[in-house]
Amino acid sequence: MMNAWTVSFNNPVPYLQGLDLQHRLLQARQNNRIPDTVLVLEHRPVVTLGNRGRDNYLLKTREEYAAMGIELFHAERGGDVTFHGPGQWVLYPILYLGGNEADSHGYLHNLEEVAIRTLGDYGVEGFRREGKSGAWTTAGKVAAIGFRLKKWVSFHGMSFNVSNELAGFDTIVPCGLTGEPVVSLKTILAHACPAMPEVRESLLNHFSAVCNRELERFDADGKLPAPLEDLIRRA
Amino acid sequence: MSVPQDLFYSKTHEWVSLDDDVATVGITDFAQSQLSDLTFVELPEVGTEFKAGDEAAVVESVKAAADVYAPVAGEVVEINSDLEDSPELINKDAFGAGWLFKIKVANESDVDDMLDADSYEELCPND
Repeated sequence: MMNAWTVSFNNPVPYLQGLDLQHRLLQARQNNRIPDTVLVLEHRPVVTLGNRGRDNYLLKTREEYAAMGIELFHAERGGDVTFHGPGQWVLYPILYLGGNEADSHGYLHNLEEVAIRTLGDYGVEGFRREGKSGAWTTAGKVAAIGFRLKKWVSFHGMSFNVSNELAGFDTIVPCGLTGEPVVSLKTILAHACPAMPEVRESLLNHFSAVCNRELERFDADGKLPAPLEDLIRRA
Repeated sequence: MSVPQDLFYSKTHEWVSLDDDVATVGITDFAQSQLSDLTFVELPEVGTEFKAGDEAAVVESVKAAADVYAPVAGEVVEINSDLEDSPELINKDAFGAGWLFKIKVANESDVDDMLDADSYEELCPND
């Protein structure tokens, strides 16, 4: 197993701050200054459009989003429009996928597997759907995926709905799919919904097993390895 | 996985075929297989000048977008506009009909710095 780092953030991160951080880590990973690193965080409410995200999947005006306290950004990832907000875990794996160590069976497939196994930890059956990426349940979609590779280092990644307000998804056509409900673990499990830290541990444990990386865990507010200290504290 | 002997390769999985001072650039069969079904290609404009290693194009599958780099410096003289309607040409024929763009090479020694087929093949995982 390869060694990798993961950094968890305790407070919701503004979208641009998270993006800026990803760019710094991406560059550091390309230059081999850091090992593969997975950021785990929640965002403040934000709607993001993918590379080819179409404005007609937005159901509100810019002014209406602003009034709802939702930011709006074009992201340079693959995939279409999505919503992030507190109560949803976002995984941003900065992984080198290009060389001898490549996950030749498909990074997208791996991220889906991480979400499906995490659902399984809480007795929820998750599955893939042909032609529709992400992790699905009989109630609807729980995890959305969209990423980009620069010099074969990944950034952006996956979001997994735990206990977030789902109203934000009603302001968009999620992933450009009409009539496909988006749900959270809480929608399915109600009172039995696990706490956020517990789900984060599930996600990281399965990420480690599925992506074959030994994860050394750090807290963004705690002691960090020197290269990360520099990259993260600058945020 | 096929790696034609008569092409030059970059570590970031582009290929180059040289015809006088014009380099045809594409992504390798390995690269297309890693990205799976491509749905969109963003090509540079004819006339754009690149340095070696500049971001030149973006290829996108359902959920992944990947950058393509100019393996050699020079000016873009032609793009493969068939890809606008049929990006799947890259999946079907990465080393042929799926070429991306042509560059009038500023510095022929850039090509000498690229990998030959055997060295490139060593870079790719065997599966």
